[in-house]
Amino acid sequence: MNELKPLGIYIHIPFCRSKCQYCDFYSIGGSRDRRLVDHYLQSLAEHFKETGARATDYIVDTVYFGGGTPSFFGADNLRRIFAELQHRFRVDKEAEITFEANPDSVSESLLKKLRAEGFNRMSLGVQSDRDDVLQKLGRPHSFEQARQAVQMARVCGFENVSLDLMYGLPNQTLPQWEETLRHVLRLKPEHMSCYGLKVEEGTPLWEYKDAANLPSDEVQADMYLSTVEILEEAGYRQYEISNFARPGYESRHNLKYWLGDEYIGFGPAAASDFAGKRYTNNADIGNYIRGVLKQDVSILSECDAIPARERAGEYVMLRLRTTRGISPEEYEKNYLMPFEPLQDVIQPLADKGLFVQNNGRWILTPRGFLVSNQIIGRLQEAQEQSEPLAKKR
Amino acid sequence: MTELSKIRNFSIVAHIDHGKSTLADRLLEETNTVDKREMEEQILDNMELERERGITIKARAVKLNYRADDGEDYVLNLIDTPGHVDFNYEVSRSLTACEGAVLVVDASQGIEAQTLANTYLAIDAGLEVLPVVNKIDLPAARPQEVKQEIEDIIGLPALDAPEISAKNGINIHSVLEMIVKEVPPPKGDREAPLQALIFDSQYDSYRGVVVYMRVMNGVVRPGMDVKMMASGAVYKVVECGYLHPKGMVPAEALGAGEVGYLTASIKTIADTRVGDTVTGAENPAAEPLPGYKTCQPMVFSGVYPADGSKYGDLRDALEKLKLNDASMYYTQENSIALGFGFRCGFLGLLHMEIIMERLEREFNLDLITTAPNVVYEIDKTDGSHIEVYTPLNYPDPMEIAQAYEPYVKASIIAPPDYVGNIMDLCQFRRGEFKDMSYLDQSRVELHYEIPLNEIIYDFFDALKSRTRGYGSLDYELIGYRPSKLVKLDILLNGELVDALSFILFADEAYARARRICEKLKENIPRQMFEIPVQAAIGGKIIARETIKALRKDVLAKCYGGDITRKKKLLEKQKEGKKRMRTFGTVSVPSEAFMAVLKMDE
Repeated sequence: MNELKPLGIYIHIPFCRSKCQYCDFYSIGGSRDRRLVDHYLQSLAEHFKETGARATDYIVDTVYFGGGTPSFFGADNLRRIFAELQHRFRVDKEAEITFEANPDSVSESLLKKLRAEGFNRMSLGVQSDRDDVLQKLGRPHSFEQARQAVQMARVCGFENVSLDLMYGLPNQTLPQWEETLRHVLRLKPEHMSCYGLKVEEGTPLWEYKDAANLPSDEVQADMYLSTVEILEEAGYRQYEISNFARPGYESRHNLKYWLGDEYIGFGPAAASDFAGKRYTNNADIGNYIRGVLKQDVSILSECDAIPARERAGEYVMLRLRTTRGISPEEYEKNYLMPFEPLQDVIQPLADKGLFVQNNGRWILTPRGFLVSNQIIGRLQEAQEQSEPLAKKR
Repeated sequence: MTELSKIRNFSIVAHIDHGKSTLADRLLEETNTVDKREMEEQILDNMELERERGITIKARAVKLNYRADDGEDYVLNLIDTPGHVDFNYEVSRSLTACEGAVLVVDASQGIEAQTLANTYLAIDAGLEVLPVVNKIDLPAARPQEVKQEIEDIIGLPALDAPEISAKNGINIHSVLEMIVKEVPPPKGDREAPLQALIFDSQYDSYRGVVVYMRVMNGVVRPGMDVKMMASGAVYKVVECGYLHPKGMVPAEALGAGEVGYLTASIKTIADTRVGDTVTGAENPAAEPLPGYKTCQPMVFSGVYPADGSKYGDLRDALEKLKLNDASMYYTQENSIALGFGFRCGFLGLLHMEIIMERLEREFNLDLITTAPNVVYEIDKTDGSHIEVYTPLNYPDPMEIAQAYEPYVKASIIAPPDYVGNIMDLCQFRRGEFKDMSYLDQSRVELHYEIPLNEIIYDFFDALKSRTRGYGSLDYELIGYRPSKLVKLDILLNGELVDALSFILFADEAYARARRICEKLKENIPRQMFEIPVQAAIGGKIIARETIKALRKDVLAKCYGGDITRKKKLLEKQKEGKKRMRTFGTVSVPSEAFMAVLKMDE
């Protein structure tokens, strides 16, 4: 038998207690309608069955329950989904099984049940240490609840806990953010994700963004650089633009997105990169259920076969998010494209301190990460103008 | 052919917005030239841009059949004319094809600068000018006063002028009757050799050039060989006929006094110059009709494709556009910064804006337009005399003995309250006050002599804002005067960008240089590194700004579901970059080239 290929599984749980002011993910705030939940569980099971049959030469080494708020969805539902998944896919004993949680829907009983089932990583949405800010953002919990949730997780045997924080919040200053970081570090998480708040069109925050007193880009840039510094000092290594971990605790699932590994997403709005195709499910739970169970509508909103040349662009775009960076040898070998045109873009940027070279790999510095959209744009432009190596020879 | 005594050729002249095109619409309706069902607003302005902006750009002709109150059938040829000062030459052209002009005056606004300018054009052309007071149904209408104004200021009998509302179709009949009674029928001899005046031409991809003309003498019919007297080109007439708003109506012949078109498989529009005389090849007229002054472009600007590889497309587009707009001029130009492009000449800024918009719209081009400039004249130290159409060719200061810039005589009409503001504005723009007179109690006319350069860009906007919209402007070129000029260069990140250079009055250089650096700072997006913006005269830096480095342009979250979105974002970024030109490491959006010119905020 051939060796099994690794596969990541993402399962979207589009249910929340309430929608946060800034959130543009697909989820239904406030509802856990029994009938809808049952239908949803049924469709996930059906979808696993159908997809599992096409993935017999894969072994699932990461599973990620994202949302939405999986903890709000409840331990029993999550257990049922996971059991069904194991039924249809080969899941590695050592797999990383993550679930996202919000402090207000974490309880000891939930944690115990999930831990017993094999879940081994919790990603907790903390966002801020200030209750007034949490309230303004529409988060249905306090910082004290977050602190307790972490403690409970420890008691229940979770040895891999990640905390999400946001900076660039209304009225936030640089010293405040630094204080938040130090405050949260006392909870001793293994992993931290720190995101700059992005005001998305269509969210409530978008409507009053001009009155929200958001920190300027300058201040946000300073917050970012300070984050990297404080976390590094505390023993968290940056491994992606917004992600930091103690050694060995990088999110294996999320790394798949940036390293170009294969994953399949289940549920509305979930994305997959599997068997050479990138596809995204329709962001509507009704459509998803109907598409899976009755098969009279397509559940996909997008599906593209990605040609090799485009993969080369993705390599630059995604790898440069990580501190693994890009390697000339890897690039030329995998995509048969010359690295030289990229080198011409990189070198002057390196001279200005936006890139560093490490073991032959080019890695963005924190200042480089801050303007990575511009840099990636330039690199892709250089890519487009270059001829494949094979043709040259 | 219609008997001469039953033909009336007329045009409508007015200040912009006084209701000229609306009156034309009503005349078409009243004479049943167009079915009510087919009627649309501004029907003669069939160019998309004209309708959007509510202005007439090109002159157009149309034949109306009218049974007058005397029971006789008349043919009324209406030749529509533009109202904006940029298009004065179109007005003069149309007028030579007519015997009468209906002067439309807004009953609340009264006489304005172009009312006067266009009336004088009509009187000079020997036309019978017939005033009409329009918009009488507006609350602010004061028809009696306006009539008095017309008598006092222009000296035309106006007390019996029809009081109409073109918008609501009031008293349109009386306008038609007035045209029949007051406009003299055309003179002309149909037995004489053919003489027809070309007042416009247009290129049609199926028929070739369509020539619009007024027959002065003789007759033209299909099959006849005709000769363009100026170019000497001979063609066999394929078709001739009358003009209808919905197209062309072929006829057996066109005789003296009539207005219409002819086609003759003409491929080169240069052979059918506007103002030329069409005559018979076999029995030619002894001499051509008096033609027109050729119109001189007043404003020149560099036009470049935003994407350098589209140079050929731009050339083709200009060629095609030129077929329908004889007033446009262009010649190839080469900028170090922008590569291959064209130096284009325009009648004025509105004309330039319209051409640019048509190029972008009708030919799907993204363009970069450099700052418009006038034509300067220079005596060089070696004794030669040159004309400078572009800053790219401005000589080294050491080679200049004396520079000259064009001046215009500007006529501004506004209520007396704003005289102070207008004087400030004109003085600031180096205007020389000539005289001022009260047209009546509520209106003053000021005359200034101003460098053309000072009014081409935003003078009219500034005038409007300083007079709460009441000020009106007309101007004409009066010649060149000695001036102190310098060329201002712009450096981005230490590199000279020749396409941003321009010529200006020396005493203004420092203030303008500072303003331009500020403007560029506003218009050039932050980039990864700090960019110094400098203005220099002959290598000496006189102003500087710094575009700070971009600190943050990053997607904080990028997981599975975000990747497709992120890719689209990068695509969009790439599209945006296509509208930019890169100089060294600096990307400059095309708008920045024009933004530097807005000096009056």
